[in-house]
Amino acid sequence: MEVQLELALSSGSGKGSDPNQDCDQRKKRSFEEAFMGVKKKDVDDLHETLPLLIWDGNEEKKQQFDGELLEQKHIPKLAISNNREDNFVVVGWPPVKSWRRQFCHQISHRECTTNYVNVENNGGGGGGGRGSNSMYVKVKMEGVGITRKLNLSVHRSYHSLTAKLIAMFGICEENVEKYKLTYQDKEGHWLLARDVPWETFIHSVQRLKLQKMATTFYS
Amino acid sequence: MDPEPKKPEDSPSNSANSHTPVQPPSPFPDEVLEKVLSFIDSHKDRSSVSLVRKDWYNAERWTRSKLFIGNCYSVSPEIVARRFPRIKSITLKGKPRFSDFNMLPRDWGANVHSWLVMFAKVYPFLEELRLKRMTVTDESLELLAKSFSGFKSLSLSSCDGFTDIGLKAIASHCRNLTELDIQDSVTEDVGGGWLSCFPENFASLEVLNFASLNSEVSFDDLERLVSRCKSLRVLKVNESITLDQLQRLLVHAPQLLELGTGSFLQELTPRQYEDIESAFSNCKNLQILSGLWEANSLYLPVLYGACAGLTFLNLSDAPLQSGEFAKLLAHCPNLRRLWVVDTVEDKGLEAVGSSCPLLEELRVFPADPYDRHHRDGVTELGFLAVSRGCRNLHYVLYFCRRMTNAAVVTIVQNCPDFTHFRLCIMTPGQPDYLTNDPMDEAFAAVVKTCTKLKRLSVSGLLTDLTFEFIGKYAKNLETLSVAFAGNSDWGMQCVLEGCPKLRKLEIRDSPFGNAALLSGLKKYEMMRSLWMSDCNVTMKGCRLLAREMPRLNVEVIMDEESDESQADKVYVYRSVAGPRRDAPPFVLTL
Repeated sequence: MEVQLELALSSGSGKGSDPNQDCDQRKKRSFEEAFMGVKKKDVDDLHETLPLLIWDGNEEKKQQFDGELLEQKHIPKLAISNNREDNFVVVGWPPVKSWRRQFCHQISHRECTTNYVNVENNGGGGGGGRGSNSMYVKVKMEGVGITRKLNLSVHRSYHSLTAKLIAMFGICEENVEKYKLTYQDKEGHWLLARDVPWETFIHSVQRLKLQKMATTFYS
Repeated sequence: MDPEPKKPEDSPSNSANSHTPVQPPSPFPDEVLEKVLSFIDSHKDRSSVSLVRKDWYNAERWTRSKLFIGNCYSVSPEIVARRFPRIKSITLKGKPRFSDFNMLPRDWGANVHSWLVMFAKVYPFLEELRLKRMTVTDESLELLAKSFSGFKSLSLSSCDGFTDIGLKAIASHCRNLTELDIQDSVTEDVGGGWLSCFPENFASLEVLNFASLNSEVSFDDLERLVSRCKSLRVLKVNESITLDQLQRLLVHAPQLLELGTGSFLQELTPRQYEDIESAFSNCKNLQILSGLWEANSLYLPVLYGACAGLTFLNLSDAPLQSGEFAKLLAHCPNLRRLWVVDTVEDKGLEAVGSSCPLLEELRVFPADPYDRHHRDGVTELGFLAVSRGCRNLHYVLYFCRRMTNAAVVTIVQNCPDFTHFRLCIMTPGQPDYLTNDPMDEAFAAVVKTCTKLKRLSVSGLLTDLTFEFIGKYAKNLETLSVAFAGNSDWGMQCVLEGCPKLRKLEIRDSPFGNAALLSGLKKYEMMRSLWMSDCNVTMKGCRLLAREMPRLNVEVIMDEESDESQADKVYVYRSVAGPRRDAPPFVLTL
């Protein structure tokens, strides 16, 4: 016999509004499964109400368990983070240090980047003078608070630059399509990076910005 | 009396009052006693020594040169200065560990400044300062740089509050610096100009770690610095340093014991590839390797030549796939410690089991802690595979999304020598995924089988039973971390009434209330600290505790939204310094 403590809880993001849902439908678990440890088959049965915990263990312990549970505010604090794309996130959980990056690398991106072998030698020797030629520019991604810096001199193609940006900001595979790379040139104009040849780009770029597709339409 | 951690008192128990019996004269002249005591390093031993008799206490305090303070609020700078006249090395720890996970408001405290002011006055010959989870401002670093002419070694671990201004002061003024080690520090765009402030003739550096600082440094200045510091044995650069730049650094410093690389993602010409491969092969002494940001299968092979002697491989910034990971491991037969990201999956951990028979420590970090992408990560199978191949395993930190009781039981049977068992099943309150039972059986097995266990972090669906077992069997347990677990006060009581060596207890989101809190009255004075957040403790309970135990600081951290009768965040610790004098308005000392 199962004990079900039902608690109606609005899940916040409806099915349509969460872009992450596109990522992998097969593996997707609903909020109930992910957060409350409920099995998928039970979720379908439960529909809108969420069991707090399902446990059919020792009968006696269970009675005690229910009673206590109902009285106590044994509900993990849900702090909704600023990023609307997040599912519910509990503050400070899992206990990973805040400076640790979240890695969003996908195998396919990594495989792409391995294709850039044997780049042309620019006559000055591969590593010669590289140290003093490092070229740092600021990179901002729309929606991300912190501006990063990127060394452009180690890249020789948009391909490699894109791979680096994806890595740096942890952009998920599906979301890559949603951003356009723009840059500010010496005159202060903002241009679409891929509209110009790499050499032109590299000689005039001052700053970079990753903009969401919809906004670039109007810029 | 529990000799840990050092609780420097003004006087031992037998000297402050007038009923002190006259002590027989010491058989040793003071000089002999002092000479003998000067060989004792461990602060725990020294604490024991100081309690023997009054002349031992005095001899100990005059000969102590290294100070360890596990909680900066347990004692005050004045008390320390009065007792120990000759200190050369200080380790000071501040905030409770949960501050690493953003659970403490900004400006909570643990500012090192008042300590430095005192050190500057009393310990002009200070050589070493090691700080953990403290706030360190530029002003403090400037004071440090100018106050101690013989200063050699600065280590900042999980600290915050400083910018490149403070680091510039250190680089410019500390002529005898041998160590600058900045780990895990929270820095917002700290500039890189400080590295260029080391004087041209400065060559004493042995340890340089700026891996966690974000900004670009001048590579030319770094290269010159590395080439003139012939004793450099630890070099950990940040992500701004490219592969070909790294190659040049390695050519100057093939003697390195520990290396943290910069970014491993770069387009290399065949010539550059050869150069860096050869540079790594020349590093015959390398024992520890980290960094490797964005490393991928194309460039990992350049490392192979340096891996034969590696004992610690830290891949926590390099999310590898199982194939390239396994290939790398095949070159590292001597690994004792391994940190990886769970992108290696169970398959990668199988490779660990087969390639690393000497492994003693494994940490597996989640690539996607907030489960945005529903990746598999690692499961109980990976952990099992490691336990079968690595019988010397004694330290594990394992983040996973599923686990079974049966797996854990088998794991500890394979590896009964665990001293540190930190299992984090990332979904709060998740049961055994096969049986749907609570994970009580797993942790019962851990505490029953691993008699040397010192540190335990529990997770998953847990009832009070888990805590009964912990209290009953975990005789050597010193640190316990609990989250989303237990049913009632009884659980916490079991732990407080058992676990004779418990020093640190940190609990969040668990149904323990006042009865549980108060059951530990006598124990808290023997512990370093207790943290309870989002449990069922009320202000009333905390006030009662504070009243009964005057030598404890019972602090409640107030939240804007919190109900005034609930004590949402409670931090209790023993102290001889009384209530904090620097407490911000949201910290109430009861």
